[in-house]
Amino acid sequence: MTATDTGYDIAFGPVEEAVAMVGATTPVRFGTIDVNEAMIRHFAAMTRDANASYWDDEFADHQWGGLVSPPAMLMIWLMPIEWQPGGGTPLPLFMARIPLPGDTFVNASTDTEFFAPIRVGDHLNVVEELVSVSDEKRTALGVGHFVTTRGTYRRQDGTVVAVNTNVLFRFTSEPAGEAR
Amino acid sequence: MIPGVDYSQRYWDDVVEGDELPEVRDEITYRRVIMNPATTWDYFPGHHDPEYARSQGQPTIYINTMHFLGFIDRLATDWGGPASFIARRKMSMRNSIYAGDTMVGRGRVTRKYTDESAGETRHLVELDLSVENQHGEVCAPAVVHLRLPRRPGA
Repeated sequence: MTATDTGYDIAFGPVEEAVAMVGATTPVRFGTIDVNEAMIRHFAAMTRDANASYWDDEFADHQWGGLVSPPAMLMIWLMPIEWQPGGGTPLPLFMARIPLPGDTFVNASTDTEFFAPIRVGDHLNVVEELVSVSDEKRTALGVGHFVTTRGTYRRQDGTVVAVNTNVLFRFTSEPAGEAR
Repeated sequence: MIPGVDYSQRYWDDVVEGDELPEVRDEITYRRVIMNPATTWDYFPGHHDPEYARSQGQPTIYINTMHFLGFIDRLATDWGGPASFIARRKMSMRNSIYAGDTMVGRGRVTRKYTDESAGETRHLVELDLSVENQHGEVCAPAVVHLRLPRRPGA
């Protein structure tokens, strides 16, 4: 298995390297797209969510001042785009860029506070911080480390719309049969 | 009003601690899992490549975090109505939902309270939610703090 198998350009290194990074913050990163109706409708179609705030412009204008993003889409507005004209590799997710031995990852928990609605036309940016890296742990999936990061999401006028604390389990995969 | 769209609203005044949320069931077909990369731009191969999923020790492809979060948001706001606002949501991942599974959402009101910390009185309820599979295994327990409007005239 190689680093590119996950589809993300994940960083490898001993756990000491990751621990030394605790407290580090990223530069401000801007989304490549604005919050938009097409992606909101497509997401709500996936979750089968009939909420008028996502489907009825008139209702949403009156209630929120515009069509709103489902809260679950927060991270999507900062997803790196697959390709850009003129080249340049999109920056991989911060949580994958922490150097550790594990060759794959799963999400363990997500805790998000929302302070203001995220509306169509908003352009979000995020600053991420490495909060902690656990000692080596064994779970049903394999051996690895829990990586906690915190992202502060702002819209174009500087208002903090959300703060998201995420725990990722970065581990060495074991073939089917041994795990689970 | 658009037919099929959900406009029904719940008011904070009418909520009683212990109230149960209606169960929400959703069949997760292979196509629905593939909608994860399509709608969330998350191309992690565990959500579209069964061979990769098996190499990770999983039986087949499984839904991503944002799909779980979206289902939990839906569970909360289907009950709360379109003028409710998710103020905080904490979710833990215990088990995966695989292509072919049925996702079952359940929940209960554990607390009804007001919060003054933002310089105004906010009316909230705390919901204890769980996303289970068709075998009754808890895949993603969650706690949502949902802001609800007051009943007009209350």
